[in-house]
Amino acid sequence: MTIEGRYVRNKKTLTDEDQHKLANSCVAIVGCGGLGGYIAEELARIGVGRLVLIDGDRLEVSNLNRQIMATELNIGQWKVEAARDRLRSVNSEVKVEIIKEWFKEEKGPEMFQEVDLVFDALDSLATRVELERVCHSLKLPLVFASIAGWFGQIGVSLPGDFSVLRLFGRGERGVESTWGNPAFTPAVLASLSVAEGVKLLAGRMPALHRAWLQVDLLTMEFERFEINNT
Amino acid sequence: MRVTVKLFATFRDGRFKVEEKNLSEDSRVLDILQLLNISPEEVAICLVNGKDVKEQHLLKDGDTIALFPPVGGG
Repeated sequence: MTIEGRYVRNKKTLTDEDQHKLANSCVAIVGCGGLGGYIAEELARIGVGRLVLIDGDRLEVSNLNRQIMATELNIGQWKVEAARDRLRSVNSEVKVEIIKEWFKEEKGPEMFQEVDLVFDALDSLATRVELERVCHSLKLPLVFASIAGWFGQIGVSLPGDFSVLRLFGRGERGVESTWGNPAFTPAVLASLSVAEGVKLLAGRMPALHRAWLQVDLLTMEFERFEINNT
Repeated sequence: MRVTVKLFATFRDGRFKVEEKNLSEDSRVLDILQLLNISPEEVAICLVNGKDVKEQHLLKDGDTIALFPPVGGG
């Protein structure tokens, strides 16, 4: 449903030209949990034309503390279906495609057909590294974010960078396995991701290319670190 | 020699945010980890003066070491 004035409050942060670019963009969100749900919500509200949501999981009770797509009424539903249903009522102008599968490196080229930008909202270190590899081979920009407890990391990886490999190349699971993920951390990191993603879609330079922001919501410190490709 | 050690995220729990440490000459990053009771497997990123290093890296007087645990949730 086209609603006159829907994007009025995007001005003048976004120009008409920016808004037009967003409307003609296709974005893939890999992982539709804490981070991915908020990322999808914000991209739909801001007016990205097409979203591809990828997640092979169903909603469960433990998702209710933080995942915006989870409600008491949809426990057991596929996460991507729950997201599609919610987004339809938020912005029916957005085309939402869903893939009820886990991301795998060999499926990347098929999953990312016609995609302009990818968001890494995964929860596995090894799969994050695979995703970066696929994005680079397809010449796609990638915005990555991760969370654990009060803490998060977010950055941008463009083809030729190996930011994700540098940050997530060691170990199997992060400290989220003991610190969990409270409601506020995914919301903050998802918003930071979308801010960077919108710049990329509008053809501007992201602020966190070859860098990452280390977010600490306990001390309220945001510290930027450079990633030098050595 | 004196070095500055900066800890991030959950590494601060029960330790500190930033501290200066006195170390013997020829100390490596691994010696700092031992001092802090952090095993090398717990470290996702180790920067010395902003550059990625391994735990065998030899430290110099005045170095700043930054240690980050893996933050991988989504």
